[in-house]
Amino acid sequence: MSYVLKRLGFYLLAFWASITLNFLLPRLMPGDPVSRMFAKGGAKLTEEQALQLQQLFGLDNRPMWQQYISYIKSMLTGDMGVSISRFPSPVSEVIGSQIGWTILLGAVALLIAVLLGNLLGIIAAWYRGGFIDSVFPPLLVFLGSFPYFWLAMAGLYVFGTGLGWFPLRHAFTAGIVADWASPAFLADVAYHLVLPASTIVLVSLGGWALGMRNTMISTNSEDYIVMAEAKGLKRSRIMLRYAARNAMLPSVTSFGMSLGFIVGGSMLTEVVFAYPGVGYQLLSAVNALDYPLMQGIFFTITAAVLAANFLVDIVYVRLDPRVRTA
Amino acid sequence: MSPISLSRRQALAGGMIGSVTALLALAGCSTDSAEGSGRLLTIPREDMGTFTRNFNPFSPNSAPMTAQAVYEPMLIFNAVRGDTVPWLAESWEVADDGMSMTFHLREDVTWSDGNPLVAQDVVTTFDVQLKTLGGYDYLDTVSAEDDHTVVFTFSRAYSVALYELGQQLVTPDHVWSKIADPAKDTNENPVGTGPFTEIANFQAQSFDLMPNPNYWQKDKVKIPGIRMLAFAGNDGANLAAINGDVDWAPQYMADIQTAYVDKDSEHRHYWFPGIGSTIQWTLNTTKAPFNDPAFRKAVSQAVDREAVCLTGMSGYADPVDTTGMGEGFDEWKDPEVLESPLCTYDVSAAEKALDDAGYTKGPDGRRSNPDGSELSFSISVGSTSSDWLSVAQIIVQNLADVGITATVDSPDWSEVTSSLENGSFDTAVCWSSVGATPYTYYQSAMSVDKVKPVGEQTFENYHRLGDQEATALLAEFAATFDEAEQKEICKQIQARFLEIWPVIPLFPGPEWGAYTDINFTGWPTEEDAYASLSTRSTTTVLILTSLEPRA
Repeated sequence: MSYVLKRLGFYLLAFWASITLNFLLPRLMPGDPVSRMFAKGGAKLTEEQALQLQQLFGLDNRPMWQQYISYIKSMLTGDMGVSISRFPSPVSEVIGSQIGWTILLGAVALLIAVLLGNLLGIIAAWYRGGFIDSVFPPLLVFLGSFPYFWLAMAGLYVFGTGLGWFPLRHAFTAGIVADWASPAFLADVAYHLVLPASTIVLVSLGGWALGMRNTMISTNSEDYIVMAEAKGLKRSRIMLRYAARNAMLPSVTSFGMSLGFIVGGSMLTEVVFAYPGVGYQLLSAVNALDYPLMQGIFFTITAAVLAANFLVDIVYVRLDPRVRTA
Repeated sequence: MSPISLSRRQALAGGMIGSVTALLALAGCSTDSAEGSGRLLTIPREDMGTFTRNFNPFSPNSAPMTAQAVYEPMLIFNAVRGDTVPWLAESWEVADDGMSMTFHLREDVTWSDGNPLVAQDVVTTFDVQLKTLGGYDYLDTVSAEDDHTVVFTFSRAYSVALYELGQQLVTPDHVWSKIADPAKDTNENPVGTGPFTEIANFQAQSFDLMPNPNYWQKDKVKIPGIRMLAFAGNDGANLAAINGDVDWAPQYMADIQTAYVDKDSEHRHYWFPGIGSTIQWTLNTTKAPFNDPAFRKAVSQAVDREAVCLTGMSGYADPVDTTGMGEGFDEWKDPEVLESPLCTYDVSAAEKALDDAGYTKGPDGRRSNPDGSELSFSISVGSTSSDWLSVAQIIVQNLADVGITATVDSPDWSEVTSSLENGSFDTAVCWSSVGATPYTYYQSAMSVDKVKPVGEQTFENYHRLGDQEATALLAEFAATFDEAEQKEICKQIQARFLEIWPVIPLFPGPEWGAYTDINFTGWPTEEDAYASLSTRSTTTVLILTSLEPRA
């Protein structure tokens, strides 16, 4: 229990530090949102209008510490303010309307990558030196080392424009009604998910497979594996129950961490495929110097990462008895 | 962990992969449900990743087409031809003393909810506008004389008012007089006079605009509707255009001939008229040597504008002339001013002018300031504007040819903008103001009213140079409503502009626009310039009421 409390204390500290950074970073950026809007519109606003907008958006010129106190207060009460670039929508509404897509994309891609990657790793390690072991890990590492942006664009170019197999953009076809009870709509959503999700899978697969393969190999030389083999147990049983189960621990940690990064991690994918989501939203928030929205999104990402890590810590206590005594 | 838990997990995984495969199979057989018999005019919006259902015309970030398809102004100014199209008002006149202006509204206009357009609508519109966004500081009163006559009175004679008042979007009194806080209203179901007012199928990344059932020019609306698509950048929007998924491409596209037109040269066209704001090399005149007009004139002659336009702007723009004004203002330009060589590339003339002004070459071939100090400075451009960056690089090369050392400084645009606004920059490639008459451009370039001291935030006249004589001429221009007289005064203003040379104009900003006529015909062209190809100008409604589906 004291272990969990200690971790909790650590997470609270980390949380405070990161929301303070969230407060500081946008304010260190030069320029202000209204003149940003002004520059974009090609000098169509008058000075008077600009000042009026600054007032409307509630951009305050109070001393930093006062702004900081009201910021902390509003963060704790869950009030993230009003978005500037999507005025007058509240930040929580903007994030709320987008985060579902991000989680869908991130979770589907993560689950496929983890399952497929670990499976490949297990098989590669078990049949060490075999076909799968000699072809897949190097190939996947090769693919994974590509700049992600480039790979996604190449995928879009080949399978989207070139072959025309998959849609080029958005989460579902423009003009159809979003009805989550209709199988045709779900199919459309899944169809639009294929390219963005598979590019994420392609890039991250190598990491999962290689990690699993390496721990499996060291597990394979453990005495209890030799013992199990000597007992004449079924090979598949030894592979999955004895070796893989014990080699899984590092993967569980990475999985937990990736779980938190689902929220902020697929930004580039969302940009390339014009897929809706908070990553896409973050890009436009930064472009428009929309501080409240930026802060809101950073806050959401931070909270997700920390919460996921905390959960992993708790699960770990259950999975690995050694941490309980530590 | 019991053995069952593992197998359950395996089952779960298997099930998930299975259902994804099933969904994919389903998707394979589903047809594109969106395309019916009447294709909607599909337009991308490249700077909005997602749309918000906000059709408030008084909002700075209303959904696209709010100002083009839903609400309409009293008159439309066509910047390509420099002419005016009467719209909700059929005529207007100005009082002899220039202190008031009367607009006569058309009698056959109805709002999309069936109510007639009346003068009170215009009065309320200006009430709301002044309350929410301000502007119109010269406006004294707005009153409805009768149902179709609106009278504006001014606190000072101001001729440019015609275009400003006339282009204000008119909103219905019976809706907006009841809204308590118009600045914060999202106006989800707008009532407008425009051709497409019915919002259908609103999604974060697309929405449709269907025809106004009570449109006053019903016979002109031939397209079944408009579909807007959201993109967070040019790349996605360009891809959609190149792939033929959109009918209109109003965004910047590099090498448009090869990337877009050549894919289907029979149907795809582009046209970039130079009617945008003049792109200029802005020198901070609060610093030396930029405060020296002789220096500004000398380096202006050192800039190879042909190369700037051909290489830097990929030939999409044409060099500016010495008036600094764009293509729509040809009849305002003074032939005498046009003869000046200040915008003509001439290295030896530039070298001589620099020598004469005391910027002499040292033994290393590099020039220094008259007081002997080192002459070097930076040219700021936002890092995302690749075209303007190469423009700046060409200028750097041109300056090196005459012995001046300059460097390109390219941080993010927000950093450049803030240095322009507070006056800390050296020089920059940036935009100017532009309006329906030359007044707007010259006012922001030379009026003392627009000059702020360094450190104080300003939104125009970044170079911070005002001229008393030009200010007096501008006031004269604004006070007269006689166009012949305005033209005479404008010539004097141009002469003054040439004399003090406050900025170094480079080229009139091109207005991007490309289209495919595979689905719709009737687009404006260079020969039939009834509008520009912009989707964000007041002339856009002229296109929406001219296009026809291809038979």
